[in-house]
Amino acid sequence: MASLGFNLPALIVVGISVVIGLLMVVMFRYTSDQKAIHIAKDHLKAHLLALRLFQDQIPVVIRSYGRILLATGRYLRLAFMPLLFVSVPLILLLAQIDRYMGSTPFETGLPFLVSARVTGAKALGDATLELPAGLASTAPAVHVPAENEVVWRVVAEREGSFVVNVLTSAQASAKQVVVGSGMPRLSAVRLRGPWWRRLLYSAEPALPESNLVQTIEVQYPARVIAFAGLEWNWIWLFFVLSLAAGFLFKSILGIEI
Amino acid sequence: MKLRERFPHLVLWLAILGIVVFCPLPSHAYAGPGAGFAVLSSFWTLFVALLYSVYAFFVWPFRQLLRLLKKRKAYGNAQIKRAVILGFDGMDPELTERFIAEGRLPNLAKLREQGSFRKLRTTYPAISPVAWSTFMTGVNPGKHNIYDFLARDLSNYLPYLSSAEIKGPKRSVKIGKYTVPLGGARIKGMRKGTPFWHWLGEAGIFCSVIRVPVTFPPEKFAGVLLSGMCVPDLKGSQGTFCLCTTRASGDKFREGGIRVPVERDGSIFRSYVPGPEDPLKPGSGDELRVDFEIRPDKTGTQARIIADSQGFTLKIGEYSEWIPVKFKAGMGFGAHGICRFYLKELSPEVEVYVTPVNIDPGRPDLPISHPVTYSIYLAKLFGPYATLGLAEDTWALNEHVLDDDAFLAQCYANHDDRERMLFDALEKTQQGLCACVFDTTDRVQHMFWRYLDEDHPAARDVPHDQHPQVIQDLYSRMDVLIGRVMKQIDDRTLLMIVSDHGFKSFARCVNLNAWLHQNGYLALKVGKTESGDWFEDVDWSRTRAYTMGLNGLYLNVKGREREGIIANGADTDALKDELRRKLDGLVDPASGRVGITGVFDCDAVYAGPYVDNAPDLLVGYGDGFRASWDSVMGKVTSEIFEDNLKAWSGDHCIDPRLVPGVLFCNRKIAEEKLAIVDVAPTVLKLFGLPLPGHLDGKPWTVASEAIS
Repeated sequence: MASLGFNLPALIVVGISVVIGLLMVVMFRYTSDQKAIHIAKDHLKAHLLALRLFQDQIPVVIRSYGRILLATGRYLRLAFMPLLFVSVPLILLLAQIDRYMGSTPFETGLPFLVSARVTGAKALGDATLELPAGLASTAPAVHVPAENEVVWRVVAEREGSFVVNVLTSAQASAKQVVVGSGMPRLSAVRLRGPWWRRLLYSAEPALPESNLVQTIEVQYPARVIAFAGLEWNWIWLFFVLSLAAGFLFKSILGIEI
Repeated sequence: MKLRERFPHLVLWLAILGIVVFCPLPSHAYAGPGAGFAVLSSFWTLFVALLYSVYAFFVWPFRQLLRLLKKRKAYGNAQIKRAVILGFDGMDPELTERFIAEGRLPNLAKLREQGSFRKLRTTYPAISPVAWSTFMTGVNPGKHNIYDFLARDLSNYLPYLSSAEIKGPKRSVKIGKYTVPLGGARIKGMRKGTPFWHWLGEAGIFCSVIRVPVTFPPEKFAGVLLSGMCVPDLKGSQGTFCLCTTRASGDKFREGGIRVPVERDGSIFRSYVPGPEDPLKPGSGDELRVDFEIRPDKTGTQARIIADSQGFTLKIGEYSEWIPVKFKAGMGFGAHGICRFYLKELSPEVEVYVTPVNIDPGRPDLPISHPVTYSIYLAKLFGPYATLGLAEDTWALNEHVLDDDAFLAQCYANHDDRERMLFDALEKTQQGLCACVFDTTDRVQHMFWRYLDEDHPAARDVPHDQHPQVIQDLYSRMDVLIGRVMKQIDDRTLLMIVSDHGFKSFARCVNLNAWLHQNGYLALKVGKTESGDWFEDVDWSRTRAYTMGLNGLYLNVKGREREGIIANGADTDALKDELRRKLDGLVDPASGRVGITGVFDCDAVYAGPYVDNAPDLLVGYGDGFRASWDSVMGKVTSEIFEDNLKAWSGDHCIDPRLVPGVLFCNRKIAEEKLAIVDVAPTVLKLFGLPLPGHLDGKPWTVASEAIS
């Protein structure tokens, strides 16, 4: 498989792209005004043909160009209204997939940063990082008063799922850190705030609102997927493949997009 | 409250928008393949448009320069900047004057009073393909080779379409039981002569030509053209409708239609639309089909029809829109067509009428426009439209498959499409020629003359007590159209309203073959008293003359016809004289009226290189008469005269002197006697172009001032 340029993440993205391509096209079909889209696209094509058919007549060319702009606007309006519907489940889905596909866990021996944003200068000065066995700090904490942020450099000595604690006064705020390989569910940030914000960004429970720590964040390395001889970010690969799948299914199912 | 009523999903939309706008992940920029398509295709469209625009802007000066180098000085000596010619097939001068007098046609009245109105001498014979060919070429039929819808094959006395010849591809490969065609169909135009818009195009004057008859196949020229009358349907015929019915009947339609059984399958009814011959099995007679099903609803007043994966609901007495259908032949071969369904009946029987399958203008399998993209452009702009030459299904009304209202609805739907095309062409052709022919005038007068003539044999079913005004309404509608066009033109535009011929009642049929038989000019095989279609039972070895088509009379000339017996020269001249003497003034014994008012020797009427293809004599029927339906099809009956009981109750294929066309113009014309052959030279002269020497028409003296 690898010799063919495939690997497991690539296969998963292909599968997801095909399924989502199909689902989204079908959803688009039922949430859009298919006839109006068909007419809008036909008008676009007609005005394009007019440019060619009446090319010697400059006033006609100018008018046609104006109509192309208008028709493009009409088409985009018709296409994007149902896309707002479609985008709700898709955004939620992409956010979830991104936790598995977007990043890789930390590797042992390579340093990474843990940053915490806190409330108030006192908390900034008090903040310390408590590390479990297997993780070690490699440098003193760096305080960024302008951002109310403190940053620690950490290195993993073994693979595993660890919990680091940021201590301020009498409070301890925990954050998961994953070291290893594969495609575990990763959460780059733990934060306070409304549920819908966590829904999109964090895979961990909310920090208590009374907590002096607002966010604890680590920057997992971005996952690079090898596919067709190129290296891809999963969202770009998904973009290309789901577009291709959508094109295929729209043709088969006779859906206007 | 009001805001909520107007936008019931406002809160939902705002919530969605809020999530997307205020909480973005990188991945949110992409909202699925739909967004991808929308964005990509929009940018692609704009990019292509921009490219074309830049191309057009940059190339335009070079094209102008090229024109100058070729000494093409468009508009250099022109008296006009634009000519708009509206053709109304069959608009009759007498009816027009009558309706003007009744105050029904204010715009034509204005043109008559302030501009010009003349009767326009038509061609011999007064048949649309002949007259419009003369209109566009400015020559007599001896130079353009069109004498009727049909011409005869000298080798077998069978007819063929006079305007175009369509043959299969030149080469093919045999694979097992299939014959795979290599290349497309070969289409050859039979009309000779050069349409005047070619001369205009060469001079750099842009032309938009819409549905002028006998423009199929479309010829290349500097302009756009949509072919008209003589464009075939997908079966290659001039229009074959289809009646899908559960009603058992062994009867065949006389012409123009076929019955297709509808099979019941529980609560669903299944049938099919017959299409062209399977291209992989040429000569086998196997036709391609598109299946469809009819699902009546519980009320029995409407049904859902599913054809070629497309579903639509029709009430009884309602037409569908144009439905695209694909006839699949395998190996990727097939044909694209469009047709309309009309739900006739759901109980006790199920009947659906399907129009002839027209060539799909958006995906034309045969060229129906120049350039090919013009038909596609119109289809994209206005949706699918009728492309068949004779798009109004007169046969279906004749055969009582459609009733009067359904036929009219079909006519006016086609007419509305044509109007849209005209106004688009007017907008696109601010300088040059814009010519558009409307067929509705011809078809409606053919089929509804019985509404005007209470004594017509076919008038018995007409609800005269309701004072139907079909033809009056037709003329009023055309007048409104003319008014709309007049509003769009300026005083440097020439407006001409032209018809190719007028109209008269067609109450009595004349079977000229029967007359020839009874007078010893046409012989039948031993034991026969009548002949089937296309001279099935004619004994050619004893036949001196025969007729087929609408006005042509042919001699069976030795060395010309396969079994000719009349020597060319003195014998043919003598026979022609004899036939002219006997036929001219032929009286209908039932009415005492003259059925034939003139018989014309084609050698005297025509001049040109194609005179040999003309009939020998042309028969001019009197007012109220026309060649019988049987005679047209080469059938010999026992009766010479009989009543015409068909809805097709008006006609013009008679003595051309009785059915001149009309000419209205927005300028004064000095000459009193005008002919359709003069239109082409007149337009060329007004655009300041030299007249080609071979033209038969003479340009008119047209005033330089247009009416306000």
